[in-house]
Amino acid sequence: MKPSPPSRLVDLQALMARAVMRPLRSDEGMQREWMDGSATAKVAEQFIKPNDRLDSFQRLEIYNQQYWWRLLGNFAEDFRGLRAVLGDAQFDKLAVAYLENCGSSSWTLRNLGNRLEQFVRERPELAAPHTSLVIDMVRVEWARTIAFDEAEKQPLLPEDVRDIPPQLLRLGLQPYLVLLELRHPVDKLLGKLKRQGEIETASLSNAVSSGRPRRRGRLAARPQTKPIYLAVHRQNFSVYYKRLEAEAYRLLCAVRAGVSLEHACVVACEATIDAPEVIACKMKSWFAEWMSFGWLTKPAGVDPR
Amino acid sequence: MPSSRFNAFTDYGIGIGLRIPHYQHILEKKPVVDWFEIISENYMVDAGRPLHVLDQILEQYRVVQHGVSLYFGNADRPNRDHLRKLKRLVKRTGTPWLSDHLCWGSVDGRYTHDLLPMPYTWEAVETTAANIREVRDFLEVPLAVENVSSYAEFHMSEMSEWEFLNEVVERADCGILLDVNNIYVSSKNHGFDPQRYIDAVPADRVAQIHVAGHSKFEKYILDTHDHPVLDPVWKLYGRAIARVGRTATLLEWDDRIPSFDDVHREALKASHFLPHEAVAA
Repeated sequence: MKPSPPSRLVDLQALMARAVMRPLRSDEGMQREWMDGSATAKVAEQFIKPNDRLDSFQRLEIYNQQYWWRLLGNFAEDFRGLRAVLGDAQFDKLAVAYLENCGSSSWTLRNLGNRLEQFVRERPELAAPHTSLVIDMVRVEWARTIAFDEAEKQPLLPEDVRDIPPQLLRLGLQPYLVLLELRHPVDKLLGKLKRQGEIETASLSNAVSSGRPRRRGRLAARPQTKPIYLAVHRQNFSVYYKRLEAEAYRLLCAVRAGVSLEHACVVACEATIDAPEVIACKMKSWFAEWMSFGWLTKPAGVDPR
Repeated sequence: MPSSRFNAFTDYGIGIGLRIPHYQHILEKKPVVDWFEIISENYMVDAGRPLHVLDQILEQYRVVQHGVSLYFGNADRPNRDHLRKLKRLVKRTGTPWLSDHLCWGSVDGRYTHDLLPMPYTWEAVETTAANIREVRDFLEVPLAVENVSSYAEFHMSEMSEWEFLNEVVERADCGILLDVNNIYVSSKNHGFDPQRYIDAVPADRVAQIHVAGHSKFEKYILDTHDHPVLDPVWKLYGRAIARVGRTATLLEWDDRIPSFDDVHREALKASHFLPHEAVAA
């Protein structure tokens, strides 16, 4: 529907936001046709003044371009691994589709990718034929964002739980710790990418240009025969990956779900092939390691008992 | 103004923006800098390296918060979740005043992450002033609003940009972060006299001044913050200082950021315009 000239603030902002958030043409100019098939230039003339150098369309186009270049630039920085998997052209197509559909619903660009996994699951054709690897990569790269700056609770101390029997003891995990079950060795791929010298290029400028660094070649990996269990976490303000044994992963997931420690251990060992004394020994070392990492906490708002 | 209720009666000199490429230099070399301006949104997180670095900076330096996403000019009211996070940071930094832009940037919870220009209407004056008052009352810290660079003007505008700024700050009873580079950029894009703008601003409300570099294109100028400050902008800065007196001044350099020393050296050029020079060098 062709909009009438806005007379109220709310109408002007709604109209301009619609124009600014419409995807650019392939040559990175503003679309010449409005949503109802009329000329975008006519729509722009209704609310934006021309000057002696730029017409209304061209002035609006500056904001349209800035919006897309800014969001695409931030998206590319947050998902460098995804870009390396898809290649530049398919990555750009996915990025535009995602941002057009989901946009940014947060005051911070940090959350720009928080709905990407769901979007790729709903639109798998945009990631084909690499959909499975893409979903793994998106999950790990979003986990990196969480691990980088999510809250840190007071780590659990041995004396906090010393006298509580396992059947009553409940624990929590650090909010910055993300547990993932993957089919592809994405942690190895990201390590390779880092070694190839893909560098971060953070910009705070309010004005941005279209030029995003391009890369040659794609990262690829075959699905593994067995699942990969990965913890994405933070140590000394840096993000790390740690592979976990299946039982350790299940144990941590059960702890996060809030069951008692005794029940969590039962869940973790349901499918184990290790002898009881072996798994008991492993659990002891896992807990010692997780305590040293500070992963374990009191559960939120309740006494561990 | 040198010291007023709009900057919590402080007397800050010349500062620079705290940027990631300079973290290591600042923490290791501890250079003498009068104050740092931080982008609030970069530190409105729950934990991790950004807050760790900020806490170290706060141990040694004075910090003022500058935001990019309050969007005082939105037709929508301010986002309370956002304000709660911002207030937590305000308590952490002890910022004497806080600034953000006289612009809009989101509609119905969908964010552009841009500083979009206001239509200069009486309705927008009332809406914007009400939003500023609500934010100030929630945050309990003096606010200063910054004039933005713009590339478009609206048919519905009923006054000039400086008249709009003046009406908003009077009704909101808040301070001004006068960005002289933005005035210059907009004056070239819209064809007005930047000195007229400077002369029209209520001097007693100017809490802080920004200077920055910009980029010239064939048909317009873009506020890119990726260059040294150009001579016409320094000239405007001199005129602003002559009007408002010695005022906290901040150089913004956000892209293609050179070394810390280069940025600081550029910022200190402002001292040539300040009366009674007493600037950290």
